[in-house]
Amino acid sequence: MNRIIYRTDEGGVAVIVPTDEALRSHTIQEIAEKDVPAGKPFKIVDVSDIPSDRTFRNAWEADEADLTDGVGADRSTFQ
Amino acid sequence: MAYIGQGAGVGLAADATVTNLTVTGTVDFDATGNIDGPVTGATTPAAGTFTTLEATSLDNTPIGGTTPAAGSFTDMAFNSGYGSVATAYGCRAWVNFDGTGTVAIRESGNVSSITDNGTGSYTANFTIAMPDANYAVAGTSTTSSGGNPVILRPTTLVTTEVDFETLQANGTEQDPATVSVAIFR
Repeated sequence: MNRIIYRTDEGGVAVIVPTDEALRSHTIQEIAEKDVPAGKPFKIVDVSDIPSDRTFRNAWEADEADLTDGVGADRSTFQ
Repeated sequence: MAYIGQGAGVGLAADATVTNLTVTGTVDFDATGNIDGPVTGATTPAAGTFTTLEATSLDNTPIGGTTPAAGSFTDMAFNSGYGSVATAYGCRAWVNFDGTGTVAIRESGNVSSITDNGTGSYTANFTIAMPDANYAVAGTSTTSSGGNPVILRPTTLVTTEVDFETLQANGTEQDPATVSVAIFR
């Protein structure tokens, strides 16, 4: 299982969880390009890379240099 | 051609054209799981004439006719035994997920993903966008199954997604164990 991460405007980290229904017909790359806000670089990571301890959830950070898997397009539909 | 099937059922061959079909009782297509239509050349039935409809899917592709434009069902109305016919407004999107620990989606419909924006802050991203942002958001959230309720507050509604927060009674963000959101339009 994978997740998609990108930096929020506030400097935090947003984690996108794709649905099984979307993964049945689209790749996680396609989901990322559709659902990540336009212009924001993202990284597809394994779910084990996401901390399960959410005590300091709003303090999570990601290095923008690591977000190398694509850039969001914020599409209204899959292409 | 049309034929009478086994037992009391009525069967239609795959290439059959039905010009007129009147049903006064219950229509149960469980045996095949599909309803094929629309009926061509027939008198349009009065709205709400179906009293009970059971099927695993509804396919409006005509048999041997011209394929209608996508979404050609412009309205769906039924009586449901209340004595008046009213338009039924379907749920356009829904999702049920666990917002604690490693956030996980249990099931969904017309939702491509959810975004965990931070503690008690989420986005449901629609697979197929809403026609406008004037939809209704219904939702519930609880700390655990049968646990304390958590307030679910929609914050931003756009055609492609809905942002919402889950809050304790004092306004503090909370990660709920069960979050259910449904969109109606």
